[in-house]
Amino acid sequence: MAGIYIHVPFCKSKCTYCDFASFPKEINKTESYFACLYRETEGRAKQLKDKVFDTIYIGGGTPSVVDSKFIVGAIRQVKKHFNLTDNPEITIEINPGTLTEEKVKDCKSVGINRFSIGLQTGYDDQLKRLNRIHTAKEFLLCCNMLKGENISADVLIGLHDQTLEQVKKTIDLALAGGVKHISVYALTPEVGTPIYTDYLNGELLSDDEVADIYDGVVEYLKEKGINRYEVSNFSCDGYRSKHNQTYWKRGEYIGLGISASSFIDGRRFTNTYHLDEYINAVIVNRFPEISSEIIEGDDAEFEKIMLALRTTDGLDVIAFNKEFNVDFSVKYKKPLAKKSAFLDFDGKTLKIKSEYLYVQNDIIMAFMEI
Amino acid sequence: MSTNQKNIRNFCIVAHIDHGKSTLADRLMEKTGQVSERDMEEQLLDSMDLERERGITIKLTPVRMYYKAKDGNEYVFNLIDTPGHVDFTYEVSRSLKACEGAILIVDATQGVQAQTLANAYLAIDNDLEIMPVINKMDLASARPDGAAEELENILGVDASDAPRISAKSGLNVEDVLEQVVQKVPAPTGNPDAPLKALIFDSYYDNFKGVICFVRIVDGKVKVGTKIKTFMSDKEFVVTETGVFAPKMLPTDELSAGEVGYIAASIKSIEDTAVGDTITEVENPTPKALPGYKKALPMVFSGVFPLDGSKFNDLKDALLKLKLNDAALSIEPDNSAALGFGFRCGFLGLLHMDVIQERIEREFDLDIITTAPSVSYKVYKTDGTQMVVENPTHLPPVTEIAYMEEPVINASIFTPPEYVGPIMELCQFKRGVYKDMTYLDKTRVQMKYTLPLNEIIYDFFDSLKSRTKGYASFDYDIAGYEKSDLVKLDMLLNGDICDALSIIVHKDKAYERGRQIAEKLKEVIPRQMFEIPIQAAVGGKIIARETVKAFRKDVLAKCYGGDVTRKKKLLEKQKEGKKKMRSIGSVEIPSEAFISILKTDNGN
Repeated sequence: MAGIYIHVPFCKSKCTYCDFASFPKEINKTESYFACLYRETEGRAKQLKDKVFDTIYIGGGTPSVVDSKFIVGAIRQVKKHFNLTDNPEITIEINPGTLTEEKVKDCKSVGINRFSIGLQTGYDDQLKRLNRIHTAKEFLLCCNMLKGENISADVLIGLHDQTLEQVKKTIDLALAGGVKHISVYALTPEVGTPIYTDYLNGELLSDDEVADIYDGVVEYLKEKGINRYEVSNFSCDGYRSKHNQTYWKRGEYIGLGISASSFIDGRRFTNTYHLDEYINAVIVNRFPEISSEIIEGDDAEFEKIMLALRTTDGLDVIAFNKEFNVDFSVKYKKPLAKKSAFLDFDGKTLKIKSEYLYVQNDIIMAFMEI
Repeated sequence: MSTNQKNIRNFCIVAHIDHGKSTLADRLMEKTGQVSERDMEEQLLDSMDLERERGITIKLTPVRMYYKAKDGNEYVFNLIDTPGHVDFTYEVSRSLKACEGAILIVDATQGVQAQTLANAYLAIDNDLEIMPVINKMDLASARPDGAAEELENILGVDASDAPRISAKSGLNVEDVLEQVVQKVPAPTGNPDAPLKALIFDSYYDNFKGVICFVRIVDGKVKVGTKIKTFMSDKEFVVTETGVFAPKMLPTDELSAGEVGYIAASIKSIEDTAVGDTITEVENPTPKALPGYKKALPMVFSGVFPLDGSKFNDLKDALLKLKLNDAALSIEPDNSAALGFGFRCGFLGLLHMDVIQERIEREFDLDIITTAPSVSYKVYKTDGTQMVVENPTHLPPVTEIAYMEEPVINASIFTPPEYVGPIMELCQFKRGVYKDMTYLDKTRVQMKYTLPLNEIIYDFFDSLKSRTKGYASFDYDIAGYEKSDLVKLDMLLNGDICDALSIIVHKDKAYERGRQIAEKLKEVIPRQMFEIPIQAAVGGKIIARETVKAFRKDVLAKCYGGDVTRKKKLLEKQKEGKKKMRSIGSVEIPSEAFISILKTDNGN
C-alpha cells in the first residue's frame, strides 16, 4: 500500500521554531496554488496508474487556515484520479483557532476521518513565546467541534524552562479533548529560525533535561494506556497513524504541493520549496522537482533498517531478507555484534531495546558499516 | 671564469626570531638587483609555505649577489640564510662553517634577546667576523643607543658604527652592503690546491640526482671532475656546477672561496652526508674538513596515521622529510591504541611541530601524535642500562634501580618586573636557580637548570603569558641527572590506553593525573555508556573522572521528507567518528592524545 501527502503552505503566522514551507504573507495566492495542486495531482496520478493508495495526509503549514473549499477540492481531485482503497485513512492537520463547524462538516463530507491538532503545550505563556496564535482553551473548543472523531495531538518538549509536570498537564489536556494519538516531539532548533538564537544562548533545555522529560512522558502515557509505537508517536490500541507507518516501513508515497517528497519505485524526489517556482513549473506542465535520487543496494537496505528501528515493532528480518535477497544475520553480523547490548534480536525481528530508543543514532550508524 | 677570491664575501645573517633576518635578506637581494622590486615576494628565501606563514626560517638557503662597492670594485656576495630558532642551532652551525662573517641583527625596540646571544656565540665559536646591525629604526619605540650598548655590554661586540637600518623601509641598507665589503674577510683558500669542498646541505632532484650545496675551501671543480667524499667510497663525475642566483644557475666551474652547488648523478642522499668533504679522485686532499657534530634528537613523539591503512604513506612522507633533515629520527612503533606508526625524534618542540605540520600539508596525511617524551636513562636492578624514549617501554618498577632524565641549561632574558613570575614558573617546573645578572636597567638574564621533560609541555606558553611576551628563552642540553620518575597510565573504561601514558616526576604524578583525567573528560564525547577515566601509577588509581552516557541522540521527526536529511546527518556523524580511535569499546577523538599536553596549568 502507498500514501499520498498534500502540502498546504499557508499559515496565519510563523512559529518561532518552524522551518517548514509555510508563508503567512502569501495567503492571497491560495487560489492559484490550489489550481496548480489540482493540476499536479492529475499529472502524477497518470504516472501512477498501477499503484493503489490507502492513506492521504494533508499537512502544512496550516491546512485548516484556508477556505475548506480548497481542501474539499484537493481530496476530490485525488479521489478522481488516483486508485484508492475503499476506506482510506485521510488525515488533516489543524491548528486551534482556525477551525469552524463549517470546515469540520466539509472535511467530513469528503471522507477526512483523522484530525491532527497542533497543541504543542497547554500553557498560554509558552504558546505565546512560540508565536502560536491560539490558547489552550481554543484547543478544547477545537476538540469539541471534532467530538467522536479520531483526533491526534502534537506536543513539544524541550521548551524554555519547561518541566515534566507541565508536559503531563499538557497531556491531560489532550486526553480531556478526547485524543487517541499523541506525537511528542523534542524541539529541534533549526538554523535560521528565531528559536535558534535562544538555543545558542542556552535558553532551551539541555539534552539531558529533554531526555528526562521524554522518559517521564513515555511512562506517563503508558499509564494512560497510550503506548509508544515510534520514537515520537504514541497511541491507544488501534489508533496508530497508518500514513506515517508507511514511511517507517519504507513504503511508497507521492507528495503533492511545494516541498513535498515522494518515494516511488526506488526513487526519492522532492518538490521545490518556493511558491512561485512551484506555480511557474506546474503552469507549463512540468513537475516541480528540485532533487531526485535512486536508492538501491546497501543504501536501500540501510534506509529500511534506519526507519524500522525507529518503531517498537522493529525490523521484520524475514521480510527484509526476501525484499533484498540477503541473509540479514550474516551480512550485518558486525554491527549486530558491536551493538548487541542495545538490541533485541531473535533472528526474526530486530528491535532497539526500549531504553535505548532515544539514543538510537549511534546504534543505527553501526549498520552503515558492514 | 671564477671570481677572484679577494672580491668574494661569504656571510650569513643571525638574529633572534622576528628581529628581521629574512626581511634584511630580501632587501639586500633587492638592492643588489638580484631580484627586481616587481618580482619581490616577501621573504624570498623562505620558500616553504610554512616558513612564510610562521615568519620563521627552517631550512638554510644560499643566494649569490653582485655588488658594486664605493671603491669601484664589483663583489660577489654569498648570503646563507639561517634558521633563527633554538631548535635549529644545528642548521645554523652548518651554514656558519661556509662563511667568513655574520651579520648580527638586533631589533632596536627589543635589544639583545636569548637567541641573539646563542647565535652570536655560535658565530664567535666558528671564528666568524661579527658585524652588528641595528634594525627596525622605522618604529617609534626604537632605542638604538640602548641596543648598541647591550651589544657591547653583553656580547663585547663593538657596535659604535653598526648600521642603524630599517630592513622594512630600506633605510641605510646600503651601509650594510658597504660594511660587508669592509668588515667580512675575503676567503683565503688556495685555488691551486687539491679540491676540498664542504657539503653544508643537500636535497634530491628527480632529474639531476642529489644536489650538494657546497663551499669550496680549496681547489676547483667543474663538469667532468671525478669526485669522491671521505665518508663513502663511491666515485662520481660532476655533471653540473652552479651558483644560487637565487635560482640555480649553472657556471663553468666553482673555485676556492665560492659557494654553489654540485650535481654528479648521485642516486642516494646517503652517499653525500651533510658535513662531509668532497675532493678529487685523481688528486685528493689528504685531510677532511672537521665536519659537523651530529644533532641528537631530544624530544620524541609517536606519529600515527589517523587512517590506519595509510601507514605506508606516512612512512614515505617521513623518509622524504628525513632526506633533507638529518636531525629527524624515525623508528617503527606499535601501539595497542593507535596501531602501527612511528616513534620520531626531534630537536625540540618547534622542530616537532614543523615536521608534523609538513606531513599534514605537503603529504596531505591526517596524523595522530602522542604527547612528547624525552629520552630517559634507566638503570636496572640487574646492572644493565637502557634508554627509554617511549613511556610504554619502561620496564616494571621492580626491575628499575633508578632513572636519569635529561636536564637543560636555560637562559632567560626578561625585563626586571617579570623576575618574580619567572622564578615561580621555573620552581614549578622543578628548575634549579643558577644565576641572575642585571644587564642594564631594562634587562635581566636568569639562568636555571631545568628538566627537559618539564620544558616540552607548555613552558614556552607559560613563560610568554607570565611575561606578556617580553621574555625570551634559549637552552642547551646540560646532561643527565638522577630523578624520581614514575610512569603515569590512563585507563579508559578500565583498560590502559598505552598512547596516553607519560613519564613524570613522582611529586607531580597526582596533579598531572588529575589534570589529564579532567582534560580527557572534556575531549571524550559522551557515548552509549558511562566511561570511567582513571589515572594510575604502578597499578594504584590516583584520580578518576566519568564521562556520562548520552541520553538523547535521535532525530525527533522522520517522515517522508526527512529520510534523506536524516541519512546525511548520520553520515556526517559517522565522518566525525572516523576521526576517533577505538580504545576497547571507547571512542576517543584524535586530539585527545595531544590535548593532555595542555593540562599543565603552571600559570
